[in-house]
Amino acid sequence: MFEFFVHVAVMACLYGLLALSLNLQVGFAGLVNFGQIILFGCGTYAASIAFSHQLGPLAGIALGVVFALCVAAAFARLGRNLGADYWGIATLAVAEVLRILANNETWLTGGAQGVGGIPLVFAGISRPVGPLLTLGLCLALLLAAWWLCSRLTASRYGLSLKLMREEPLLAASLGYDLSRLKIQTLMVAAVIAAAAGFVFAHYTTFVGPDQLVSSETFLIWAMVIIGGAGTHLGAIAGAFLLQFVLAFVPFVKDALGLPSEYVAIMRMTLIGGGLLAFLMWRTQGLIPERLGETRRG
Amino acid sequence: MAETILKTEHIAKAFGAHQVLADVGFQIGSDEIIGLLGPNGSGKSTLLNLISGFGGADAGDVTFLGSSIVGLAPHQIAQRGLVRTFQLPSMPHRMTVREVLRAGSRERAGLLDAFRRDAGEDNAEELLEQFALKSVAHQPASSLSGGQKKLLSIAVALRTHPKLLCLDEPTAGVHPLLRGHMVDLLKAINRRGVALLVVEHDMHFIHELCQRCIVLDRGSIIAGCAPCELAQNERVVEAYLGKSLERQKVLA
Repeated sequence: MFEFFVHVAVMACLYGLLALSLNLQVGFAGLVNFGQIILFGCGTYAASIAFSHQLGPLAGIALGVVFALCVAAAFARLGRNLGADYWGIATLAVAEVLRILANNETWLTGGAQGVGGIPLVFAGISRPVGPLLTLGLCLALLLAAWWLCSRLTASRYGLSLKLMREEPLLAASLGYDLSRLKIQTLMVAAVIAAAAGFVFAHYTTFVGPDQLVSSETFLIWAMVIIGGAGTHLGAIAGAFLLQFVLAFVPFVKDALGLPSEYVAIMRMTLIGGGLLAFLMWRTQGLIPERLGETRRG
Repeated sequence: MAETILKTEHIAKAFGAHQVLADVGFQIGSDEIIGLLGPNGSGKSTLLNLISGFGGADAGDVTFLGSSIVGLAPHQIAQRGLVRTFQLPSMPHRMTVREVLRAGSRERAGLLDAFRRDAGEDNAEELLEQFALKSVAHQPASSLSGGQKKLLSIAVALRTHPKLLCLDEPTAGVHPLLRGHMVDLLKAINRRGVALLVVEHDMHFIHELCQRCIVLDRGSIIAGCAPCELAQNERVVEAYLGKSLERQKVLA
């Protein structure tokens, strides 16, 4: 049970990174990204390609950063002439195209079978020390990303993001280059998501296109909305809450004597129902954004 | 007049078959306060949009500080020092008045500036005081009255250190007591070296503030004169009030 807890905590930290990344985009900059999972995929596939081509983990990290920056630039480029909602649909389309590419370009990505045998982060260290060290690494990454995002959003740069989110015309009339703000935000967010993907690949030791399905993006969205868009703590809280709730669904199923196929249904119901409930009755999420929090600007 | 800061030549703009602006040309000196007048639908706001990059002209040229700004994006024009406010200023729901004012300045607002300790000079508090917004500084900017939003939009524009400030109906919705205060504020801003182009309907305000007026009617400039000469200008009177009875009799 202890190792199970550690596993859930590791996954919660990784989802926390993804939620922080999405929250920076949608919660602060107003960028409705429905292709978030592909930024995570930049990290997983960087690890996979570096492993299968024997390039080493450092090259994998560099590759992940390059992939993330390229996808972020592509997303931002798409956004130049599109409204927020259409841009969101375009990001979903790009993410799906890239997932299909990963599914079919077997020579590079391993295709539908994926790539297995990727070394563990702390390979050679026995249980439970290895998983605990991985948890420590994930927590450190989460805290570093939290600090980075907080620093950015508490500054005058953060104010410019909020102004772009709220009143883009006003921001442009004051001289803010919205394209530049978008690309910068997407690049920071993409690197955070790719970091989560890279660690995930070296934690689960497997990378495949099924990890990049769009329902994962909407799970991250649910985490941000339930936790509270526009607050970093809210995004992390949403990720931990949903991850732990979803992890304990099989135990509830056993306690109620339900068949195994109910697990997936119960998880979907919890995510959809939770999302709907929060959108209807508590749109600000568990930890609402507070006005006037930006002090350093 | 001091050196020319803004010059427009042969500006034309049509929306479909409707010619909104035709052969519009004027210039503004770097120390001037110019009023842009005209009845509703005469093309004032369209002209302001074209000058500030929020729309493209079909023909003509706009020169700001000696170089053409035609085809530049609004943010590029604002970065050069030509900043505008809007007729119906929309303000953020999830930002306080103080935050909006702080966001007005692009100094130290870069990504890497977030990691600097020194936030730089800040005159936001001074502007809050000057524009009578101190008492509402902590409120959401969207909750302000129409007049307060106008004041905030001018104060925010000033944070960019403009060389030419274009104001679209700055007194609309502003409390009459505040209008006098606004005249003093705008004159003080002008004395600090900021030229002003003011689109306005309030003739009393124009008389008090502006040194010169440009009057548009049906997309063309019909007068360029001092505010005190407006009432004597037959074309201006005609544009606002229609043809005089006497003239109608002659025509009949």
